[in-house]
Amino acid sequence: MAKLMRLVAGVAGLSLFVAGCGSAPEEEESGTGAKASDFSACMVTDTGGIDDRSFNAASWAGMQAAKKSTGAEVQYVASTSENDYVPNITRLISQKCNLVVSVGGLMAEATGQAAKANANQKFAIVDSGSVPPNVYGMEFNTAQSSFLAGYLAAGMSKSGKVATFGGLPIPPVTIFMDGFYEGVQYYNKQKDKKVEVLGWNEAKPKSGSMANSFTDQGAGKRIAGNFIQQGADIIFPVAGGTGLGAAAAAKESGGKVSVIWVDTDGCESASQYCDVFLTSVTKGIAGAVQTTIETAAKGQQLTGSYLGTLENGGTGLAPFHQFDGKVPAELKAELEKIKQDIISGTIKITSPNQPKSS
Amino acid sequence: MSATLTPTTAPGSATAAATDRGHWYVGGAMTLVGLYALVAFGLGSRTDDGAKAVFNLNLLGDQAIKVPDLTVPAGPTAIALSLVCVAVGVLRLAVRLTGSRRTAATSAYLVAFVAAFLVWATSGHSLNFTSVLNATVLAATPLILGALCGVLCERSGVINVAIEGQFLVGAFAASFFASVSGSLWAGLVAGCLAGGLLGAMLAVFANRYLVQQVVLGVVINLFAAGLTGFLYERLMQANPEYNKTMAFSAIRIPVLSDLPVVGPVLFGQNAVFYLTVILIAVVQIGLFHTRWGLRTRAVGEHPTAADTVGIKVVAMRYRNVILGGLIAGLGGVWLTIGLNITFNKNMAAGQGFIALAALIFGRWSPLGAVSAALLFGFAGGISVSLQPLETPVPTAFLSMTPYLATIFAVAGLVGAVRAPAADGIPYTKS
Repeated sequence: MAKLMRLVAGVAGLSLFVAGCGSAPEEEESGTGAKASDFSACMVTDTGGIDDRSFNAASWAGMQAAKKSTGAEVQYVASTSENDYVPNITRLISQKCNLVVSVGGLMAEATGQAAKANANQKFAIVDSGSVPPNVYGMEFNTAQSSFLAGYLAAGMSKSGKVATFGGLPIPPVTIFMDGFYEGVQYYNKQKDKKVEVLGWNEAKPKSGSMANSFTDQGAGKRIAGNFIQQGADIIFPVAGGTGLGAAAAAKESGGKVSVIWVDTDGCESASQYCDVFLTSVTKGIAGAVQTTIETAAKGQQLTGSYLGTLENGGTGLAPFHQFDGKVPAELKAELEKIKQDIISGTIKITSPNQPKSS
Repeated sequence: MSATLTPTTAPGSATAAATDRGHWYVGGAMTLVGLYALVAFGLGSRTDDGAKAVFNLNLLGDQAIKVPDLTVPAGPTAIALSLVCVAVGVLRLAVRLTGSRRTAATSAYLVAFVAAFLVWATSGHSLNFTSVLNATVLAATPLILGALCGVLCERSGVINVAIEGQFLVGAFAASFFASVSGSLWAGLVAGCLAGGLLGAMLAVFANRYLVQQVVLGVVINLFAAGLTGFLYERLMQANPEYNKTMAFSAIRIPVLSDLPVVGPVLFGQNAVFYLTVILIAVVQIGLFHTRWGLRTRAVGEHPTAADTVGIKVVAMRYRNVILGGLIAGLGGVWLTIGLNITFNKNMAAGQGFIALAALIFGRWSPLGAVSAALLFGFAGGISVSLQPLETPVPTAFLSMTPYLATIFAVAGLVGAVRAPAADGIPYTKS
């Protein structure tokens, strides 16, 4: 007991020590490889912080990749509340950043205002549209990839029931659920089956299943447990960290239930649950941010906006990993065909939450 | 419940200060809501055309005794239950009930109302009621542990709003030490100790340095969130082997776990759950039937008097706050290795504060807090289970029901509450 106590105290002490030493953030490292450039890109995180394993982390990864390839200087400031958006953006402008990248649709208003007030400053924003002339928007039509996920889930479900739930009823979340729902309906129409979607009906967006949290894994586990009791065997949680609770519930089912992850390849971002991840619906934030900075660093104009689609690889399905052998080749071929049909426009996705292409 | 407010009264007793006309307002409101239920639930379109509501009573799995599904005609059942509500409302309007009769009437009213709502919502669908109960127990367990911690601290006169932080450090330590040592029990002990350590910190600052205790608790919460977040980034994110998915496996108690409905819910859980049940009994009996309990209550009510008869007030407070910390730490243990979930930043997600609410709504008594926690859990379980049924009630509203239910239950069943008299006041010898 006393030993353990000492260990706990030791770890706590050590952490304070490390905290004291670890004050040098990564952005101060000198450029690796590429020649130093006088271009600087600065990012404002949303309240999730730089290590949210989601869009802030992905955006920062894109910034760092751009730093490697162009030698541009990159840095970020973290927002701890929505009240930080405007001061953070203003601070970066006064530091003479060439490009200010704001992360998240919630920052759209603050960014728009700053852009109006500083007509010569270039901005870019993730998960929101462009505001000409100086805000470059990066959006992702994840309904397309979720459509594939829905079709896959319907094809893989043994019980004929699949389920989805969200973190909060906001468009960046429900767009996934819409696409998933439509994918299942498309499967039913093609195969004359009746696979049921629990937790979401695109026609009744007010009555879907929501965890009301992006961190409460216990809630995610309870929601998933309820779905499993109702017979669902594939679950699609669109709720960030809360979704890990669904993965835990699936893991306990002993192979009967699987999960489709969102945003990043689950086998990389939450590898402990890789054996229950059928696949993941990915959002290529890092790549988009990287390309944007590279373009700007070369001195080229950022025009129009970026829309991640199946066609340009801005969104898609991750590899099946451990399920690769279990997904029938026929289904894989059908998914490929549907992907082409979505790209060509033969299959129309009707979700009202899709970003308008410009 | 009719109480006189002398220093010896148990905290939380309602004052019998109801006005003579009080029951008219209450009865009138209850009758109106009952009539609303009749129109909305019983006669609404959802329950039309002989629609049936099916309640499954078995969990998936190898249950020895299966109970057949409970199928009821939705319309007539909802009408009958709503009429019960109306009847109770009229009764309250006509007669001025007091004491246990009033409690019984209000309980019957609430049960009938919730049942009518459930039948209406399930109409044309099926709802797994046992799954709802299971979700209730899973959600209530950390709240119960947090509330028990609160009972120990506040009954001895120290306000503890740091339960959230104790959950976080407990959850972190449990996951970390269980992963590193490979032993779940090591994780459990470490989680409890981490909570206890934070409790010790609270005790020192509250008793030795007389820091304002609410502010202190908030600061400790921030400290715990920062510390665990930092350690998570430095240790766990880079090395998933420090944050494995591990969990106590379910222990099925023979015979009892085969009971229909309640069997798997109450007797098919894991060791942490059984430990929680034991702790409820220990704290309840300890607080009201032992010398330690009497002294604890004395120290929380009237420390000066306790001191004059030779009770060491500050030592008592130290001991109880640390003990409470150990229990809240166990609540953190439940959040990770109790639920088979890996640690994640801020994963307590406000449950420490809900535990605090359960403590107050439970009138600072262990059993009261347990009831309040179960009520929160049940309302949460219901809202989770109803979401997929596509009721006309928006999800946002369903998510609000746990809190709504609590407000009504507290107003209807609990009445005025009183904290321990010396709660939050540091004791110094003058």
